[in-house]
Amino acid sequence: MRTWRWVSVLAVLVLVLAACGQQPAATPDEGSEPPASGSESEAPEPSASEDVDGGEPTAGGTLVFAGARLAASLDPALTSDGESFRILQQVYEPLVDLAPGTTDELVGVLAESWTGEPSDTEYVFTLREGVTFHDGTPLDAEAVKFNFDRMQNFSEEFQGDAYYYGALMDGFGAENLISSVEATDELEVTITLREPSPTFLFGITLTPFSIVSPAILESTNADDAATSTFGTDVVQGGTGPFVLDDYVPDDSATLSRNEDYWGDPALLDSLIIRPIADPAARLQALQGGSVQGFDLVNPSDYETVESEGFSLVERLSFNTLYLGLNPVARENAAAAESGVAEVYEGEESPLQDLAVRQAIEMAIDKEALIEPFYGGRGSVADTFMPPSSGWSDAILAGVEPAEFDAEGARQLLEDAGFNAENPATIHFWYPTEVTRPYMPDPRGLHEAITQMLEDVGFVVVPNSDIWDSPGYLFDAQNGFYDLHFLGWTGDYDDPSNWYGVHFGYAQGEPAAQFGCDVDGLEDAISAADAELDEAARGEAWAEVAGLIHENVCFVTLAHGDTALAFTDVVQGYEPNPTGSESFQSVWLSE
Amino acid sequence: MGKFILRRLLLLIPIMLGLTVLVFLFIRLLPGDPAGAILGERATPEAVERVRTALGLDRPLIEQYWEYVSGLVRLDLGTSFITNRDVTDDFLQRFPATVELTAAAMIFALTLGIPLGMLTAKRRGSWLDSAGTVVSLIGISIPIFFLGLMLKFLFAIHWPILPDSGRIDLIEYAIPRVTNMMTVDAILAGEFGGFVDALRHLILPGIALGTIPLAIIMRITRASVIDVLNEDYVRTANAKGLASRVVDNRHVLRNALLPVVTVIGLQMGLLLGGAILTETIFGWGGVGKWIYDAVVNNDYQVIQSGVLVLAVIFVLVNLAVDVSYAFLNPRIRYS
Repeated sequence: MRTWRWVSVLAVLVLVLAACGQQPAATPDEGSEPPASGSESEAPEPSASEDVDGGEPTAGGTLVFAGARLAASLDPALTSDGESFRILQQVYEPLVDLAPGTTDELVGVLAESWTGEPSDTEYVFTLREGVTFHDGTPLDAEAVKFNFDRMQNFSEEFQGDAYYYGALMDGFGAENLISSVEATDELEVTITLREPSPTFLFGITLTPFSIVSPAILESTNADDAATSTFGTDVVQGGTGPFVLDDYVPDDSATLSRNEDYWGDPALLDSLIIRPIADPAARLQALQGGSVQGFDLVNPSDYETVESEGFSLVERLSFNTLYLGLNPVARENAAAAESGVAEVYEGEESPLQDLAVRQAIEMAIDKEALIEPFYGGRGSVADTFMPPSSGWSDAILAGVEPAEFDAEGARQLLEDAGFNAENPATIHFWYPTEVTRPYMPDPRGLHEAITQMLEDVGFVVVPNSDIWDSPGYLFDAQNGFYDLHFLGWTGDYDDPSNWYGVHFGYAQGEPAAQFGCDVDGLEDAISAADAELDEAARGEAWAEVAGLIHENVCFVTLAHGDTALAFTDVVQGYEPNPTGSESFQSVWLSE
Repeated sequence: MGKFILRRLLLLIPIMLGLTVLVFLFIRLLPGDPAGAILGERATPEAVERVRTALGLDRPLIEQYWEYVSGLVRLDLGTSFITNRDVTDDFLQRFPATVELTAAAMIFALTLGIPLGMLTAKRRGSWLDSAGTVVSLIGISIPIFFLGLMLKFLFAIHWPILPDSGRIDLIEYAIPRVTNMMTVDAILAGEFGGFVDALRHLILPGIALGTIPLAIIMRITRASVIDVLNEDYVRTANAKGLASRVVDNRHVLRNALLPVVTVIGLQMGLLLGGAILTETIFGWGGVGKWIYDAVVNNDYQVIQSGVLVLAVIFVLVNLAVDVSYAFLNPRIRYS
């Protein structure tokens, strides 16, 4: 009987704990009401512009939000992923930023104004007066110069992680794009480029180009890879609307309102970001009430989220899924003695025939992919540029999107000499162990497209490999695959970041991934890249896009929208296609 | 006894050397490498090569291995390839969370497993015994991932009586992390409410993680108690009229616990392995999730050091278990 007593005592203990101090987790209908702010600080006046559906914006409260991970590093210059940006951009600010909700409009942040056109090599930024870093030191021109000089002179240990600086400023050191950064007055910084760069201003809107307090950089030995504590310790080096209070890796990041913020103070008292890697677990956390919002809702959960009374905040996509076609993949794989070559068994690729590539494009019903794989929230990709891009119309003018036409595709194949006795056999690869916003279910997408291709007479051999290099990515980018899935999430809104990055020539050779060697393409890309006038630039890139799509070097398939979910008390979140989003305007209704 | 412990500790050296070779080679056999994880879609072949060089992955294996082992000798576990953070710091920061979770699971498994094993053994052949066997079989075979999600659905969402994830209510309790064991930190901060809340956060993950060990411990206890119940000394004790409670505690349980204790030591490995899934489902920032992320990202430095440290802990726990035999059964002599 004693054993029973043990069991009952334990059971009672569990029940008591379950009930103890427990206000039941908020159900969506009730909403979860954060406790009143305990801080003595004055609550800021909410700005009138934020008056949206939930009533008058009110200040106060704590929001617990779940992302997939916390930051890879706390040093903004050394980060390049959205999860890191989410936390760091609440704390650190750049000179200029994208206007909320846009991808092609600039607003001044730490710079009140600036001069400099895309065709110029000199940019003069006038800094905002009276801005102080969280450590109390003032923001001045010298601080900006300190940050830019620091990035330009990153030692090799840091260069791998400082991806964006390297990519946007043509590498590091004295020979890169930046010729000089000078403090020309107390609040005036002049940045001189070696040559005009139409993407310079958009580039420096990214979180890695945020301005950090020089005093903090020095006190944390930020530039000494062996002893730096800047990327790991909680420091007060930003100017943003939130201050980082606590950071426990893999557990939580706690931020609180910066009471001395130069602009409209944040409405939340504090913001806690928790990492929950699994999308199903993030949804459960919202349902269970332990978070009030989360990012990257699984498209298959959109309906659940809405039917349970949560709000779904959609973010237009800034990404594109494509099907890469490579007519010279078999030669590439054989020349590199890659294991991939074995699957081709020495046979010639039918993709060398343009008609076959066109048949592939016509055989694919892109519309049919949107509902099952993107929960109906994505859109068909006629070009590489997503609809949220300011360039999408300009590019579309140069491209004639292929219509889905199974009969036409069948005919093209037949005319090219392929039939049941002599089928066009293609090897089609998809990645495993990965999902991306543009590629929620690689295997399912592969099956759907395989079916479409087989319907018009292709023989498709399925292949897969693990995503990480030197697996799938390595083989795809070295051009070993006949057909493969890959996609792109834009870094900033310029066609050079899309068509240029993927199809640019190197030493006269076309990009290995597509083997897309089209007459006039190399010159067209160079001309488009050098074009500084906006309208002419759009036309020039449209011509590039036309050449690429005409020759079916790839088939753009879909843009996958992403979404956030919130309980109905969370108001004022402004999504941006680039994912660059501030919690400054977020507030909690009663 | 001292000699025994010393010899076992010395034995650690060849075990560790063997382990370093195994871990080092195994992770390099995994497909992919850290450069790909760092660069993602942007991985041009040149960029991959640059990062590989920066990380020293282009150097001969033997050279990389030597650097790894010489680091270990200096107690330097290295720096993560992905986050550039010190592996020792990261481990020490997360390990207390895993210890707390593992302890909760073990307490759950022991406090239920031993009494239930004892009970089913004493009622051998009854419906209770049969029910116990069925339940323990289910317990052993249920996947942690499924159990965790079900527990969450039932007790955090459908009947919201327990928290669904996390280690403490972060809005309610801002407790400074001293040990990073939330229950301990709450006490140190003098927050009784926080302590209770931290305990409540431990219940669901503790049950999810502790169910398999519970089932195993229950089965071993049952088998072991049945053996002991048939011993002459138990019959004698009963015959001379000792109270059943005294017979159970002094004669049956103490003798039956020896195999159970061995199993408990071995269960530690299972718990640390199961922690990977449990921590992922319950958003628990412990060592399991840390190593899982490292495996996904091919973060060699973290995997090879993290796994090794866990192995050392596993070996030490089992050493402690061996030593505890002497207390349970003074007839055991170590030589």
